[in-house]
Amino acid sequence: MNEPGLLRRFVATPRFVLVVIIVLLVAVLVAVKPSFLNGTFVIAPLLTSIAVFTVVGLAQMMVLSIGHMNIAVGQMAAFGAMVSGITFDLAGWPLVAGIAAGLVAGAAIGALTGWIIARTGVNSFIVTLAMSFALLGLVPTIYSSLSAGSAFTTKPAGFDLLGRGSFADVCLVGWCGPAAIPLIVVPVALVMVLVAVLFTKTRVGRELLLTGASVKAAELSGIPTGRRIVLAHALSGALAALAGILLATSIGSFTPSIGDEFMLQSFVGPILGGTLLAGGYVSVVGTFLGITLTLVIRKGLELFGVGIETLNVLLGVILLVALSADRVREVRLRRGRTPDASGAATPEREEVAA
Amino acid sequence: MNRSVSALLRSQSATLIAIVVVGTVLLGIASQGDLFSPVGLRTFFQFLAVPILIGLAQMITVAVGQLNLAVGAIGGVAAALSAVLMADVGVPPLLGALVPLVVGALAGLGNGLLVMLTRINGFIVTLATMTILLGAQYALVGTRTVSASNWEPLAAVGKATVAGIPVIFFAAVAVAVVVALAFRFTLTGRQLLASGDNPEAARLAGISNDRSVVVAHTASGLLCGVAALVSLASLPGVNQSVGGDWLLPSFAAPIIGGVALTGGTVAVLGTVLAATVVRLVDTARAEFQLAPAWVNFVIGAVVLGTVALDRVRQVRAERRRGALRAAGPQNVTPVEATR
Repeated sequence: MNEPGLLRRFVATPRFVLVVIIVLLVAVLVAVKPSFLNGTFVIAPLLTSIAVFTVVGLAQMMVLSIGHMNIAVGQMAAFGAMVSGITFDLAGWPLVAGIAAGLVAGAAIGALTGWIIARTGVNSFIVTLAMSFALLGLVPTIYSSLSAGSAFTTKPAGFDLLGRGSFADVCLVGWCGPAAIPLIVVPVALVMVLVAVLFTKTRVGRELLLTGASVKAAELSGIPTGRRIVLAHALSGALAALAGILLATSIGSFTPSIGDEFMLQSFVGPILGGTLLAGGYVSVVGTFLGITLTLVIRKGLELFGVGIETLNVLLGVILLVALSADRVREVRLRRGRTPDASGAATPEREEVAA
Repeated sequence: MNRSVSALLRSQSATLIAIVVVGTVLLGIASQGDLFSPVGLRTFFQFLAVPILIGLAQMITVAVGQLNLAVGAIGGVAAALSAVLMADVGVPPLLGALVPLVVGALAGLGNGLLVMLTRINGFIVTLATMTILLGAQYALVGTRTVSASNWEPLAAVGKATVAGIPVIFFAAVAVAVVVALAFRFTLTGRQLLASGDNPEAARLAGISNDRSVVVAHTASGLLCGVAALVSLASLPGVNQSVGGDWLLPSFAAPIIGGVALTGGTVAVLGTVLAATVVRLVDTARAEFQLAPAWVNFVIGAVVLGTVALDRVRQVRAERRRGALRAAGPQNVTPVEATR
C-alpha cells in the first residue's frame, strides 16, 4: 500500500481510462461548442442528471457486489417515489418524513425480492424481472386510483430547493455559490461516501463482497449469506427509491414513468467503472465516472442536435467495446505478455476502490 | 432421473392444460359466450401467435443456459426494416416477407458471435445489442406509423382464417412443432441441450459449446423474425412500439411452461400452453375492462409463484431422495447441481 504502488495501480484501472476519456471529451466539447460551459442551462442540468443516475448506478452496484442483478431497479424507483408522493399529496407529510417513507418502501420491496431469492435459490435475474413486471402493473394502477391526473404534484417546503435549487440559493455573509452546481449533488455525494464506507470500512460490507466472490466460501467462514443477500437487495431498493425521489424533485412531480430509463444506465455505470458482474468487486468512484461519461456523451449529442436513438446505439457500442477491451486485457494478462503482469496488474478479487 | 424429469414436465403440462380449460370455460361464462363467437375466437388466436413465437425464441436461448434480452428489439427492427423497405423503396411484399426472417437470423447470429468471441456474459451482450437495435428501430421509423396498406397481400394472409381460426396461429403452432422435433430428433438439438445441461460434460463429449451458443442465438433471432413477420401481417401498421412489450411474455412462457432456467431442458408444449394462459389473462383483462397494467401485475406474480413452487418441489424431491439414500446400505456422496 505504498504511494507509488497505489498510483500505478490506479493508472491500470478502468477508472483512470474513464477520467482521461471524460477530460478529453469535455475539452473537445468545449472547444467545438463553447456553449457547453453555460452554467445554468447546460452544466447544472448535466450535474443534476449525473447525481440522480449515480444513485441509480449505486443501486445496481449494491446487488452486483454479491453477484446478483436487479432488473427491477427502475420499478423500485417508481414504487419508492410513489410512496413519497402519496405521503406528500394525501397525508401532507413534510419533506424529510416523506422521503424517509419512500426509502423505507424501497428497502422493503428490495428486501422482499432478496428474501424470495435467498429463500428459493432462484436466479436473481428472474425474480427481479418478475418483480419489475409486478410493480410495472401495480404502480400505474395505484397512481390512477389515488390521483386525478396520474401524478402527485403536492410540493412540501424545500422540495423545489432540493430538486431545482443551486448553490446560488445558498448565501452566506453576502456571498452566494455558483449557479452551475445544483444542490442535489450534496445528498448524492453523502450517499456515495456512505456506500464507499460500507464496502471499505465495515464488516458487513466485506461480508457482502465475500458473498459475491464465493457464496460457498462465505458460508463456510460463518457469514449468514442469506441475510447478506436480503440486505444487498434491500439497500439496492432503498437507493433506487432515492434515485426515483430525486428525479421527481428535479422534474417537479411524481409520475408512474419515473424510472423508465434506469435499467440500462444502472448497468452501464458500474460495468464501465470496473465493477464485476460476477460479484466480489465494486467501485463507487468507477460507477460515478461511468455514469458521468455516458451523460457527458448524451449532453454533447444533445448540443449537436443528434437524436436520442443515436445515443442508444452509442451506449450499446460503448458497453460492448469497454467489456471486450477488458476481456482482451484479461486474456493478455493471463498469457503473461504484459511485462508488469506479475505484481501490480493482477487485481485482488475482493478489494474495493472507493 | 430421465423418467422423473419427463414426469415432472408432464405434470406441469397437465396443470397448464387444466388451467387453460378452466380459464376458458370461466371466461366463456363471464363473457356470456362472446369468447366463443367467431370474432372472439379469431381475436383470441390472432394475438396468441406472437406470444408463442417469442416464448419459443426465449426458450431456445434458455436451453443452452443463455438468455436473450433483445427479443423485442430484434423483432422491432426486423418489422420496421421490412415495413420501410416495402413502403418507401417499393420492395414487393413477397420479398419483404423474407426481410424480417433474414434480419432476425442475422441479429441472433451477431448476438451469438459476440458472446462467443468476447466471452462477455450473454445478459450484457444482449442488453447492449438491445439498445443498439432499439436505436436502429427508432432511426428507421421514427415517430411515424407505416400503414399496412403498403403490403396488402401480407395483410390478407394475416386476416385469413381456416375454420374460423387465423392462419398465423397455425403458422405459430407449426413453428412450435418444428422446434419440438428439432430438439428431440436432430443432433444439433441434442447438442444444444447437452451444452445447456453441463457445458463441461458436453465439451468432454466432443460437443462445441461455442457452436451451441451461436446456433441457439441464431435460432432465437430467427424466431423473433418470424414473430416480426406475424406482427407485420396482423397489425394495422408498424411503428416504434412493435416489440416493446415482448420481453416479459417471452420469459413468462418458458418459465411457467416448466423450462429450467439453468439450461438443459426444453418444454415446447409447456411454453405454448403458458403463452395461452397469458393470453387468457389478457382476454380477461379486456373483458372486465381493467387497466392493461393489471396483466403485467398478474403475470409477474404468476412467474414469481411458479419459480417459488418449482423450487419447493425440487427441495422436496431432493429430500425424498436423501431419505432413500440414508435408508440404503451405504451413503452415496450426493451429486450436486453444477450450477
